[in-house]
Amino acid sequence: MSQWLIAGLLFTPLAWAALSLLLGFRQGRWLSWLGMAIQMAVSLALWFAVMEGGGFYYALGGWNAPLGIALRVDGLAVTFVLLTAAVGTACGLHAGVYLDADKPWQRYFWPLFWFLWAGLNGVWLGADLFNLYVSLELISLSAVGLVALGGEAAALRAALRYLFAALLGSLAYLLGVALFYGRFGTLSLAVIDQLLVGGEPALIVALLLMLAGLALKTALFPLHAWLPPAHGIARSPVSALLSGLVIKASFYIAARLWMELGDRLGSPWLAQGMGVLGAAAVIWGSWLAFCQPHLKQVVAYSSVAQIGYLFLLFPLTFAVAEPVSLLAQQGITLQVISHALAKAAMFLAAGNLILSVRSNRVKALAGVSHFLPFSLFSFGLAGVSLMGLPPTGGFAAKWLLLQASLASGQWWWVVVLLLGGVLAAAYVFRIYRASFLEVSNSDDFYHPPQSLEAIPMILALLALGLGLVAEPVLSVLALPFEVVAAEAVHP
Amino acid sequence: MGFVVALAAAVLGAAGAAAPSELSDQLQASLARSGVEHPVTAVLLNFRSYDTLLEIGVLVIAGMAGISLASTNALEDPALRSADSLLYALQRWFVPVMLLLAAYLLWAGADRPGGAFQAGAVLAATGVLMRLGGLPMAFIRPGILLRLGLVLGFAVFLLVAVAGALNGEAFLAYPVTIAGGLILIIEIGLTFSIGMILLALFVAAPVTDEHEPEEGGGL
Repeated sequence: MSQWLIAGLLFTPLAWAALSLLLGFRQGRWLSWLGMAIQMAVSLALWFAVMEGGGFYYALGGWNAPLGIALRVDGLAVTFVLLTAAVGTACGLHAGVYLDADKPWQRYFWPLFWFLWAGLNGVWLGADLFNLYVSLELISLSAVGLVALGGEAAALRAALRYLFAALLGSLAYLLGVALFYGRFGTLSLAVIDQLLVGGEPALIVALLLMLAGLALKTALFPLHAWLPPAHGIARSPVSALLSGLVIKASFYIAARLWMELGDRLGSPWLAQGMGVLGAAAVIWGSWLAFCQPHLKQVVAYSSVAQIGYLFLLFPLTFAVAEPVSLLAQQGITLQVISHALAKAAMFLAAGNLILSVRSNRVKALAGVSHFLPFSLFSFGLAGVSLMGLPPTGGFAAKWLLLQASLASGQWWWVVVLLLGGVLAAAYVFRIYRASFLEVSNSDDFYHPPQSLEAIPMILALLALGLGLVAEPVLSVLALPFEVVAAEAVHP
Repeated sequence: MGFVVALAAAVLGAAGAAAPSELSDQLQASLARSGVEHPVTAVLLNFRSYDTLLEIGVLVIAGMAGISLASTNALEDPALRSADSLLYALQRWFVPVMLLLAAYLLWAGADRPGGAFQAGAVLAATGVLMRLGGLPMAFIRPGILLRLGLVLGFAVFLLVAVAGALNGEAFLAYPVTIAGGLILIIEIGLTFSIGMILLALFVAAPVTDEHEPEEGGGL
């Protein structure tokens, strides 16, 4: 059963990408509705299958690693596959209504969207260093294509910067992969994990290169300058995909590398250094979000800040007791999920607000609270999760991280967690304040279709409810995993 | 500078140590079941075919992004054609030879260096030459034919991949008896599409004049 599900999961996005390239935007939309339904069903079924029977390796082409490529289908991977299905479907449905179907270049939206989805699934399931690189390339190029789609000079400039940053990051990662391959003669992460004995300098350089490249692709402070222009200028459903899912893919690879190899190749200063950069991202990103005159730039800089929390994984899992490390991993996983849901909701709601007031400026929002309360409420609900107030997923994530910080004696991260929440409240309330201002002659609003308003609300409610169901969601992290890695070396 | 030194030390360090994995033994042992005799082709199109499938996807995206930015008229602009009769005459010699070379490279991939990527590159070079020399190429307009050409190789590869899964095997698994034939079919499709993608990127270079304004008018 699981074998069929994996095949369906891999086949559908790629096939839909190929088919929708042959169709126009409107026919592609019909086709994509069907595809999103299939992906959602397959992802759910796979999640339940792994919940029941535990994780397993899937050997592509029937060739086991290290000769072939194996996919690692574990609890964390299927959870992120399911998250991708939820956020991807929401953004796809929103885009189908939001984008101007009459523009000739929009026909390329669906193929790029489906390739992006395929790449994301490839990263979540990847267990092979080079295969992860290829999946990352699939994601980066389709994301750049989506940013550039039909755009003016400013959009092309942002897309080009994004492309250069993504390529530089990929190259650094690939250089690290080459060093690992040269040393171990294999690309399988599980086999490398078995063969790795101690911290050889060459391998430490390799890990540093890979982490630096992935940090650039994740837009970790101070490598974040490419993100706000690209995420700010893309169409809102595209921004939602980029902020919600795309930047998580490169972080996920960095986290997997760190969890597998960090105990032997990492060092206290590297772990603390990554944490400090993350903390700086939280403070600096939030402050810049507060200062932005444009609505979507506020949301984009908020992504820079929220990404910062993820890098607390490095200090909170290095050389600490097993239960503390597990707490930190659970907290980071929840932060990834809740930020994906909340940020997608926020960008989609921001798109609705912009559609309504016909301007991207925060000041132009004056009076919109009377007119578009639903979208504004979705924006605020998502904001509550970013601030980390109970009962949201953001709160549950921060609570776990707080416990992990205190239990490992690293109290200084607690300051970052609290300050980050206060700053998030500041930039969300600034939008609210602008929208409640009463200005005369401000009743000239366009009303977007109700379906556009419903989608961010559903995402925001999911982010809100995540805190209540955190327990079952996190239980997949501790699921049993089929042990075939030992056999993979000697098949 | 310090980075270069560290990197050089790392490369030398890694090169000195013997690779402990038995990958090359496994490769030799499994080569007979791959359907081709050349190890590079076996790795690219059988053992690690998933990487290649996704790489072709990356190429399709690049081609697609290229033509999505291109203006409709500039793709086949008569003003860009040259009218040099010497060039035209040379082309009549070169183009058939280059097409033959592409076909040879494709066929050679089974047992010696060659294959779809090299053949596709030669095919694209042929197209570039034809375009620079002024031979009309109506098929390169951004219509359904061009998009079909871009995606054909990828689609063939994907169909073979899913046929393995429908057959009850893993995704991308080929039956041993017909593996050689399947790889050849995939490579023919890929050669054609790789040529199309590279050519489309070359031809689509001029950028569209019409734009979608920024959300909210950039105000």
